[in-house]
Amino acid sequence: MTGYGAFVKKEFMEFYRSHKLLIILAVFLLLGMMNPLTAKITPQLVENFMPEGMIVNLGEPTAFDSWMQFYKNVPQLGLVVLVILFSGMMSQEYSKGTLINMLTKGLARRSVILSKLTVALVMWTAAYVICTGISWAYTAYFWKGEILHDLFSAAVLVWIYGILLLAVGLFGSVLCKNAYGNLLITGGFVGVQFLLNIIPDAIKYNPLALVSRNMELIEGSLKFEELLFPIAVSAGLAIAFVIAACAVFNRKTL
Amino acid sequence: MNLQTEYLPFLIPVIIIELALMITALIHVVRHDHYKFGNKPIWIIVVVLIQIIGPIVYFVFGRSDEE
Amino acid sequence: MNALEIRNLQKSFGSHVVLDNLTMTVREGEVFGFIGQNGAGKTTTMKAILGLLQADGGEIEIFGKRVHYGQTATNKMIGYLPDVPAFYSYMRPGEYLKLCGEICGMSQGETKVKSQELLEMVGLTESVKKKIGGFSRGMKQRLGLAQALLAEPRLLICDEPTSALDPAGRKEILDIMRQVKGRTTVVFSTHVLSDVERICDTVAVLHKGKIALSGPLSEIKAKHRADTLQIEFTDPAEILQLQSKLGSSLKAEADGCILNIKTANLKQTEAEVLAILSAQNLMPVRLEITEPTLENLFMEVIK
Repeated sequence: MTGYGAFVKKEFMEFYRSHKLLIILAVFLLLGMMNPLTAKITPQLVENFMPEGMIVNLGEPTAFDSWMQFYKNVPQLGLVVLVILFSGMMSQEYSKGTLINMLTKGLARRSVILSKLTVALVMWTAAYVICTGISWAYTAYFWKGEILHDLFSAAVLVWIYGILLLAVGLFGSVLCKNAYGNLLITGGFVGVQFLLNIIPDAIKYNPLALVSRNMELIEGSLKFEELLFPIAVSAGLAIAFVIAACAVFNRKTL
Repeated sequence: MNLQTEYLPFLIPVIIIELALMITALIHVVRHDHYKFGNKPIWIIVVVLIQIIGPIVYFVFGRSDEE
Repeated sequence: MNALEIRNLQKSFGSHVVLDNLTMTVREGEVFGFIGQNGAGKTTTMKAILGLLQADGGEIEIFGKRVHYGQTATNKMIGYLPDVPAFYSYMRPGEYLKLCGEICGMSQGETKVKSQELLEMVGLTESVKKKIGGFSRGMKQRLGLAQALLAEPRLLICDEPTSALDPAGRKEILDIMRQVKGRTTVVFSTHVLSDVERICDTVAVLHKGKIALSGPLSEIKAKHRADTLQIEFTDPAEILQLQSKLGSSLKAEADGCILNIKTANLKQTEAEVLAILSAQNLMPVRLEITEPTLENLFMEVIK
């Protein structure tokens, strides 16, 4: 694939110089810290804000609560930030026409798509590892000695879902000339999954499980084998979207 | 207060990150005169006063593409 | 071998026919001026040559190799400067050229040497530290030329390289193009006819989707050489008076207070006119012999 290496380097440079690197690290660092923090603070906050006379019986926060915060915040906030940060992958190239020169020099169209995907994956993985690592470190610090199971597998699930969203975003970005259309497509994609969850049979396969049933896994009420279907579906969809993105891009007139 | 020392391991890194974001954004706002919308005083206020989100909004939406 | 051969190129956008059976040849080593009005189809033709546009019919060959839409095999021989070159504004010129070199398949050392050479040639050495985002239009155009010439292409194609530049910028670009002439075949489109007269060997006029006029510049001018006698009066009525006395074999056109008489035999016509003026007691304000310019020829062709 001609020019893949060179274009990957250019994408990294662009990511760094547009300050997106700074943002993604800052956001996921803060998120990582926020989870144990909110778990710890919530009972105290609730106590302070409840009117006199009401007795609220909230147990002491545990490591479990900390991870519960994680699996609430990261999908809701973190993934949204991720999607927004990468929503303009192709729109600038289209609007400014910077790709024309690159392509006429011999850059393969496929290289363009794959190099953008590569950088997105690397950045997502790095940010997510930092986020999870920090949450884990703080949780271990504040709740020493509590042992929870399947933490790693639960974490990997969100990582896979992030990759899926990036694949959809890449496809949407290639298809639509501007970032807003892309956001609509990605949002629609997630929306459809929410709707599908209403159908009992669909829950078995729905990728949404990767970001909604993590706590069940940690609790032990869900076995990892049951999640193999959503994982497979997500992986398949992700690959399909990337291939579709390449196909659409090959036909695009610039 | 006991509460504060308990939360210190949180507060210090958070403050560092917030400051890093704010200062980087502020320097950029001051050095470059062009923005997609708004003008310098507005962006200075946004970046300094709206913690975390301010600099992010600036870098993603408000910054002009030209130097 | 011909640098560029276009045969029966056909392209329509919806019902609008832009290129209609276009046939054109560019010889190796020459500077070819491609002129036409706005919207005539110059940029469309160039995009087809570069494989950026799918033509409806016809063939294009670069040094004997066929051009296919979406494939870049033929582009390795071409350096392209678009009318509005677009760069990555966060890069510095050296970094951008480095990227281009890598994509072309040039070695790092080669790229470095050529970049320096070209940046010097286009006059951008003082701006190497600046990010491209801060470049003026003229600077971007010059960088555009540098990146087009980076891989030492055999064919350089420029789309209106001088249109947005001031006279100084225009001269700079033309000088650079003149410099590479010889080892590189240069094709550029423009509607600034004085540029064409300055550096072109061959000229082609694109009109209504076809080549209306083409050939070596000197030949074209010689063939259409019919000197014009221009007479100016203060009163248009005097023109009518003169016109009525002129022989019908002469082509005379009135334009306000000016009468243009086209003639192949200047001396004879001039004598005739002077005789009439004297006999009719007409006193012109000005009597002048004008030579054909590319502009006149162009205006005639597009009529």
